[in-house]
Amino acid sequence: MDKLREDKIIADLLPQEFGKQGKIWVVCLLFFAALGVFAYGRQLYYGLEVTAMRDYASWGIYISNFVFFVAISLVGSLITAVLRLTNVKWSTPLTRIAEIIAVSAITFASLIIIVDMGRPERFYNLFLHGRLQSPIIWDVIVITTYFFISLLLLYFPLLPDLKIMIGFKERNGKWLQKLYVFLGSFWKNKAEQFKITDKAINILAIAIIPVAFSIHTVTSWLFATTYRPGWDSTNFGAYFISGAFLVGAGGVVIAMYIFRTHYKLEKYITDDHFDRMGKVLVLLALLYLYFNFNEFLVPAFKMKKSEEDHLLGLFTGEFAPIFWFAIFTSMFIPIFILLFKKGRKPIPAFIAGILVVVGSWFKRFLIVTPTLLHPFLPMHDVPANYHHYIPSWEEWAIAGGSLAGALLVITFFARIFPIIPIHETILETESHENEKHF
Amino acid sequence: MKPYLKPKAMRMKNIFKIIAFVVYLIPTVLLAETVEKNTLVLGVKYYNDNNAVQHLVISAKSKIDGKFQKIANIAVKVFITSDADKNNLIGTGITSERGEFILLIPPAAKTEWAKSATQNFVAVSAATKLYEEARGEATITKAKIKIDTADGKIVNAKLLVLTDSVWKPMTGVEMVLAIKRLDGNLNISETATYTTDSAGAVTGEFKRDSLPGDSKGNLVLLANVIDNDIYGNLSAEINVPWGKPLSYTTNYNHRSLFARRGHSPFWLEFLAYGIIIAVWVVIIYLVFQIKKIVKLGLE
Repeated sequence: MDKLREDKIIADLLPQEFGKQGKIWVVCLLFFAALGVFAYGRQLYYGLEVTAMRDYASWGIYISNFVFFVAISLVGSLITAVLRLTNVKWSTPLTRIAEIIAVSAITFASLIIIVDMGRPERFYNLFLHGRLQSPIIWDVIVITTYFFISLLLLYFPLLPDLKIMIGFKERNGKWLQKLYVFLGSFWKNKAEQFKITDKAINILAIAIIPVAFSIHTVTSWLFATTYRPGWDSTNFGAYFISGAFLVGAGGVVIAMYIFRTHYKLEKYITDDHFDRMGKVLVLLALLYLYFNFNEFLVPAFKMKKSEEDHLLGLFTGEFAPIFWFAIFTSMFIPIFILLFKKGRKPIPAFIAGILVVVGSWFKRFLIVTPTLLHPFLPMHDVPANYHHYIPSWEEWAIAGGSLAGALLVITFFARIFPIIPIHETILETESHENEKHF
Repeated sequence: MKPYLKPKAMRMKNIFKIIAFVVYLIPTVLLAETVEKNTLVLGVKYYNDNNAVQHLVISAKSKIDGKFQKIANIAVKVFITSDADKNNLIGTGITSERGEFILLIPPAAKTEWAKSATQNFVAVSAATKLYEEARGEATITKAKIKIDTADGKIVNAKLLVLTDSVWKPMTGVEMVLAIKRLDGNLNISETATYTTDSAGAVTGEFKRDSLPGDSKGNLVLLANVIDNDIYGNLSAEINVPWGKPLSYTTNYNHRSLFARRGHSPFWLEFLAYGIIIAVWVVIIYLVFQIKKIVKLGLE
């Protein structure tokens, strides 16, 4: 490849300073994050009383948010590992987007668990006095492991790009230059270094798949190992993983569109990427739909007395509007949009991605809370508000703040590091050109 | 200096004061009359436990909505003899949620106790907002039970009554022979009660084989006179090695999925720690690979 072409790729893919829109975006996110911190301060001061969680609905939108974050983090393994190991080349520009979504989501999944604790200062006891038989401990272990693997998977492919960025000292500024030097000054593009990195990425790609499957299976077991209507299912692990892949892929499509339009990356994140990711989304939505049928049709067919209130509450009762909204927005409508070639163009695919992510968030809420409001023993002699769960403003602010925080991590990462791998893009372009020549 | 008032004006002033006072009193009196107090029934029961501890159980109940109900928080004074004089006071108590309290007969009452073969007890409660004052009495004749065993798991018990300073056997009194269990007593055989013969004795055969005892197989054998109008509640007990030694088994220290921390099944520990170690060895290996890359870069 000629030098001019290479320079053009580098110039296109180097991280850019925030423009006007970027600044507004960051300020908005900071505002929501600050609001969340303020609300959490109130929760720390007054205790969990500021939430709407009571004796029955003891898990609310914090845990819904946790499950959502864990789900969306799974995309790192899908795009980076599964597609890499199956030798799918078109996913190269999307790998870093997927990995940073995974890292930020898993970070905030950990944080939101601490938020849900009444005494967060005792969190360390989970590590010191954890009970190995408890799925909660498995979750703590698996989340920590997944975080480190995702971080490594983000870091290894970044090394050659760091060398490229160190070469732009003037453009980088003092602090960024220091950061790049600290992280990657030892990278000299030596063949042996590449060999080690390639091997490390392959090992990580293999290791992350079982860990990623574990993380969401174990999260599903937090529910499935409890004998409650709606949770007492042997199907939960697969049901959660299929849903997680769907929401993760939806998140990547949204990020692809935003980065493509904002950083003018049309040459690198092409219509073809949206077309392919659209097909992946359809496949995943159909898979999730299949598990949903299993999850609801089978118990509804039997309609055991203990399950009846819970199921009817979802189908036609108190939670029916959210239930049908979630089913249609996360599955039916995206499938309908993305089945058509025109639907897999960037804008419709972006809309489908948003529908998937929003619908999936509410789906997590429906997994967590309605079950808690339908215990086996009838609720007697409890205040009226114990029968329902409407989150307080503090809960909404904290949940919103955590989402804003995750987006801030992604935003700042894209500001500091190239969101599309520069070195890999150059290699792929070279490889394409060579293929054309022969 | 007070202003001067004419006698007539002073009289009028006094009349107004009286009217105001009467107006103030009317509702108070009317209200007081509208509160109807319930009758309180105080019960006094005497207990002689194993000829060692004598105590009284004082109970308070009242008929509410056609039913007798236990009344809590009633302060009761208890006197020895039927004279509710402060010199005879042996104790006070307040009824619990169960409408009763226990009062041990204090050593200070020994002189009064030793005077006669029969004994009176009086319980008195003052009137409260809801209940009228109440008085309950009990008169008992002092008696005791002796219990013994014979070969072939035979239980012998004898009822002795204090008559003219001498303990004499008493005939025709119903007695229960039982084994003390955790939550009540279990009769030693199918016979519910025995009646004392002319020697004041009852004999029963123990027919509860394989009954769990303590770690040595000891059981507590009881002879009881229950709620007798003359003697009150009497009991005597003796330990007998007629039970099955109890070997207490617990799964508290067993390894299981539902056990406490540090007691998970070996297979789970092997599996979990195996996976954790395997994955973290890979992570640590990769961190060392970074170190290797750094070293290569510095060469």
